[in-house]
Amino acid sequence: MNEEMEPFERRLSRQPLRQIPAGWRAEILAVAVRESRVESREQANLRPSTLASRLSTILWPHPKAWAGLAAVWVLIFCVDFSMRDKSPVVAEKAAPPSPEVVAELKQQQRMLAELIGARDTSDADRSKLWTPQPRSERVEILMA
Amino acid sequence: MKMPAGLDIERLYDEHAQPLFAFLLNFTRDEADTRDLLQEIFVKLAREPKLLSGVRDERAFLIRLAHNAAIDLIRRRGARDRTRENFAAETVSPFAPARDPDEKYFRDELAAALAELPAEQRAVLHLKLWEELTFGEIAAALDIPPNTAASRYRYGIDKLRDRLRPIHEETRKAE
Repeated sequence: MNEEMEPFERRLSRQPLRQIPAGWRAEILAVAVRESRVESREQANLRPSTLASRLSTILWPHPKAWAGLAAVWVLIFCVDFSMRDKSPVVAEKAAPPSPEVVAELKQQQRMLAELIGARDTSDADRSKLWTPQPRSERVEILMA
Repeated sequence: MKMPAGLDIERLYDEHAQPLFAFLLNFTRDEADTRDLLQEIFVKLAREPKLLSGVRDERAFLIRLAHNAAIDLIRRRGARDRTRENFAAETVSPFAPARDPDEKYFRDELAAALAELPAEQRAVLHLKLWEELTFGEIAAALDIPPNTAASRYRYGIDKLRDRLRPIHEETRKAE
């Protein structure tokens, strides 16, 4: 990269550039300083100590009212906690069906089979229907 | 004028505002835009004094800020002002007024020829001719490879030479 300048380039570089208007200095710097103060104030407002002091400023005029509100909330929590249902979960695990239930289901099954025209289904086949199986397979057997 | 974070904004302004002004004026060709951009840069510096911590070459850093801000401005302007950019030579010259008529004519023609260049070539030409930066420094300031800086300069200077040769030869003979 040859960075030597030719006479033409030297002539261009000798052309004086316009000067910045003198009045801009005060205006630009004033705005810059004002903005920086706003920025630093915003940052200061985010500090925890300032937050606490602001909070106390809000709470201070009516301390009894705020204390009363806090007491009401504590009371609500206490009542809610004491009224919570402490009985154990009713059916965490499904119990195996009782013989009566099985018999009832067999009967319903038989009736269903009669309704759909499978009257000649043998007892052996019927008993096979009631071996515990996944629900999807049960449907296939019923439809057979 | 004291800054909260101890940044000497006045010193920064006094040392760098003039070259930034010239660069931005040549880039945007609009005095109001140049003022807005300068304001934006100094507000940014005032709000974020840490920007300059660890910066070795303040001028190069500020030129980079100015260049990025100017590009953002041109994008914001959109198509309407891109047209205005093409006629910028008619509105604002980046050069000081001249008393000598020949010199005035040459500066006016130079301003018009510069305005016809793409903004990126103009930026490189400005930094090379009037800031006297090397291609390496220009590359660092504009965040481009040095070869790109050199080629943009070559394209730009060739266009200026073609356009201004007759005037250049004529006024040289007169001297």
